[in-house]
Amino acid sequence: MSDFQLYLTNTAGLSSVVSFWVFVASNGTKRFNSIALKVANGVMLVGFIALTVAIVTRGIEAQRFPLANLYESLLWFAWATMGGFLYLCRSYGIQQLGWLASLLAATMFLYGSWLPQSQHDISPLVPALVSYWRQIHVPPLIVSYAMFFLAGLSGLLNLWQSGRLRSLAFCVGTIIAASSAIVLGTFSKVDTQWLQILFVASSVIGPFLAFRSLPVKDAAIEQSKASSKAAEMYDDVGYRCVAIGFPLLTIGIITGGLWANHAWGSYWSWDPKESMALVTWLSYAAYIHLRIQRDLSAEKLSIVSVIGLLLTLLTYLGFNSLGFGGLHSYGKFK
Amino acid sequence: MVAVVSEDDKSKEVEPEVAASLVVPPNKVKDGKRDNTKDQLSPFASVKLSVFLMCLMALTILIGAGVPQESQGGQEKVFEVFGNQIAEWLVRLGISDIYHSPWFLALTATLTLNMIVVSFQRVFPKLKLLKNSLPFFRGQDIRKLPVHYCLSVAKAEEQTALIADLSVRLTKMGYKVKAEGSKLKGEYGVVGRLAPSVTHVGLLTLLLGITITSWTGFTGFQPVLLDEKLNFSDSQHSKLWIGSLPKWQVRVDGTRRENYPGGQAKQWFSNLSVVDDKGKVLHQGEISVNNPLTYENVDIYQSSWGLAKVAVSFNGHQRQLDLRPMGEKYACFLPLDQDTVLIMSLASEGKSLRVFAKRREWQAPKLISEIQSGKSIKLGDVDVVFEKAIPVTGLQYKRDPGLPITYLAFGIIMIGVLLAAVPHRHVWVAVEDNRLYMGGTSRKAKVGFERSMDNLVEKLKASFTLQEQAQLDQGEQAHV
Repeated sequence: MSDFQLYLTNTAGLSSVVSFWVFVASNGTKRFNSIALKVANGVMLVGFIALTVAIVTRGIEAQRFPLANLYESLLWFAWATMGGFLYLCRSYGIQQLGWLASLLAATMFLYGSWLPQSQHDISPLVPALVSYWRQIHVPPLIVSYAMFFLAGLSGLLNLWQSGRLRSLAFCVGTIIAASSAIVLGTFSKVDTQWLQILFVASSVIGPFLAFRSLPVKDAAIEQSKASSKAAEMYDDVGYRCVAIGFPLLTIGIITGGLWANHAWGSYWSWDPKESMALVTWLSYAAYIHLRIQRDLSAEKLSIVSVIGLLLTLLTYLGFNSLGFGGLHSYGKFK
Repeated sequence: MVAVVSEDDKSKEVEPEVAASLVVPPNKVKDGKRDNTKDQLSPFASVKLSVFLMCLMALTILIGAGVPQESQGGQEKVFEVFGNQIAEWLVRLGISDIYHSPWFLALTATLTLNMIVVSFQRVFPKLKLLKNSLPFFRGQDIRKLPVHYCLSVAKAEEQTALIADLSVRLTKMGYKVKAEGSKLKGEYGVVGRLAPSVTHVGLLTLLLGITITSWTGFTGFQPVLLDEKLNFSDSQHSKLWIGSLPKWQVRVDGTRRENYPGGQAKQWFSNLSVVDDKGKVLHQGEISVNNPLTYENVDIYQSSWGLAKVAVSFNGHQRQLDLRPMGEKYACFLPLDQDTVLIMSLASEGKSLRVFAKRREWQAPKLISEIQSGKSIKLGDVDVVFEKAIPVTGLQYKRDPGLPITYLAFGIIMIGVLLAAVPHRHVWVAVEDNRLYMGGTSRKAKVGFERSMDNLVEKLKASFTLQEQAQLDQGEQAHV
C-alpha cells in the first residue's frame, strides 16, 4: 500500500471520528446547532471523497478491482455507509442519523486497522477470484449490508423518538454484545463456541425483551409532537434503506449464483455464507411483507430492522470470525 | 397556510387504496352485491402464512448454516465438531443434513404452494386495478388524505391558471396528470405497482427452471489423472429423472498450474478432448477456473488441482507413490523400518523433489537431498531417480436444461425488486369556493413525498396570490 493511499484512508478514518464528535456536540448547543451539523456533514463529505479516491488508487495500484479481502470490503462498507448517509441526509434532511453513521464508519475503519498487515497489503488473487464476476457480485452485497445497517440504526432512532427507551436499551445492548463477539472472534483466541453462544443468545434474548418492553414508554418524549414527527420520519428512512438494500442484496445473491454456476457448475451449494445471505434476504422479505400489510407498528418494525441488522452482521462478518467456515473464506485470515 | 391534519384527524386519514374508493369504491360492489373475493381466498393465500413460513425457513437455514452439513464435510465433521453424544442426536434428528430432511422439504413445498396461491389469488388480480382510473376528488375528500393542504385563492381569475400551472409543474415532477375543469389528478410511479407481480412471475419462472433441471439435468465431480478420462457414471440426479447421460467421455491431455512470482497459485488449466467410445476426438479445448468447456449442453469446470503421484524409480524399479496435500506442498511417506520414515516433498510441478528422513528420536525431519526432475541421487546402495510429478485435475460437470429459464427468472426477479423501490404516488387538486385543496398519498418514501409537496406549495405561493388558511372549519386544527 502506497503512502498516498495510506494518507487518504487515514483521512477518511479521521473524518468519520471527527464528524461523529461534531454530530454529538451539535446536540449540546441550540445556538450553533445548524452550523455544527453543517460542519459535521462537510467533514463526512471530505472523508467520503478521500475514501473514494483511496479505493480507486488501490485498484490502480493492484491492477485489479479493489475488493478481494476483508480489509478491502471494510473500506467499501465504510464508503457505502458514508455515501448512504449523505444521500439520506440530502433527501430527508435528517441529522441525528449522522452520529450513528459516522460511528459505524469509524468502527469499521478501526476494525480494519487492527487486521494484520497481510490484509492491508495488496496481495495476488486466488484462482477462484480471478473473474469479472467479482466486481459484479460483491459491491451490491457490501452496499446492501451498509443500507441494512443504516435501516437498523434508523430503527434505534425511531425507538428513541417514540419514547421506547427500554426497548431501545435492549436493542443497543444486543448490538454491542453481538459486535463484541465478532471482535473477539476476529482478534482474540477465545473459544469460538462461546462466542457463537454469546452472539446467538444476545440476538435472541435482546430483541425478545425489546418486544416485551414496547408498551413501556417515556412520557416526556412520547408527548412531544416533534418527536412523533421525527419517529415517523426515521420509520420512513428505515424503510427507504431497506427498499434500496433489498434489491441490491437480491442482485448480489443472484449474481453470486450466476458466478458459482459459471465457475463450478452449481448455483447454490448451501455454503454457510450463501445460506446466511438467503436468511438475511428472507428476513427482509418478511419485513417488506409485514410493512406492506401494515401488520406491525412502526416500533415493532424498528425492532425487526434491528434483527435484520444482526443477521446482516452475522452474514458479513460473523460467519468468518465465529468459525463457521465455508467456501467464502476470502474474508478470513486466521 | 398549509394545513396538516391534527392527531384527531388521523383517524380520518386514508391510504392509497382507500383513497381510490373515496368517491366510487372500485371492485367492492358488483351489480349491487358486495364483492366477496377476500372471503373466497384459500387459506394458503394468507400473507401472514407467507411471513410465518419465511421466518421458519430462515430459522431452518440458519441452523443449517451453523451446523456442519454431511453433504459438505461428511458425517465425520459433525462428530468432530460436536462430539459423539450431541452428533448422534443431530444425525438422528436430521439436523446434520437439514437440506435433505423431510422437515425442510415439507417447508419448501408449503412455501412454494403458498407462493403460487398468493401469486394467483392476491398478487396477479391486483394488476386489474391498473386499468381502473382513479376519480377526481372534491375538496372534502382531499382533506381526508394523509398529506393535504388548503390555501385560499384571493383572486378568482387565478383559479383556472392555478390548475394549468399545477398541471405543468406536476408533469415536470414525473406525474401523469389529468385535469378536468377545476379539478386535477396526477399519478407517479405506476410501474412501482408492478413490482409484486413481476417479482412473483420471476419466482414462478425460477420454480419452472429448477423443476426442468431437476427432472432432466445431472451434476458430478471427478478427479482425473493426466491421460485418463472423465465419464459420467457417478453423476448425481434426482430420483424423479427423465434425462440421459452422454455416451462420450472427456480425456485430460494436459493440466498445469500457473503461479504468481511469490509461488501462490494464480490459475489452474486443463487441456481436454471430448472423445467417443472409439476414441475419435469430437471436440477440444482448454479450461481454467471460471472458464468452462461446453459440449452438447454439458459444462465441464476446472474445480480443483493438485499433484496426485510422484513417479520415482529405485535401482531401476519404477514406482508411483501417492502424494498427500500438506498445506502448500505435497508429500509421500515411506517407512523404512519401525523408527525411520523417508519423506518426499514436492512444492509444484517443475520443482525439485526434496527428500527428508525422520527418525523417532528426531524432533524434525532432516533434509537429505534434493532431486531435479529426471535426475538421480544415491541413497546408500539405492539409486533414486525422480521421473516426474503426476498432476490430478478436479473436474466438475453438469447439464442444466432449465438454465435459460432460470436465467430469465433471475432477470425478472431483479427487475421486480428494482421496481419495488419506485414509490407510487397520487396527487389530487380541487379549486372550490375560492380555496385550493391539494393532497396526496404515497406508499413509500412518505417523508420525501411530503417535502416535494411542501416545495410545490411554496412555489405556488410565490407565483399566485395565495393566502394561508388559518382555520378551515370549526373543530379542525391547523399548523404550518
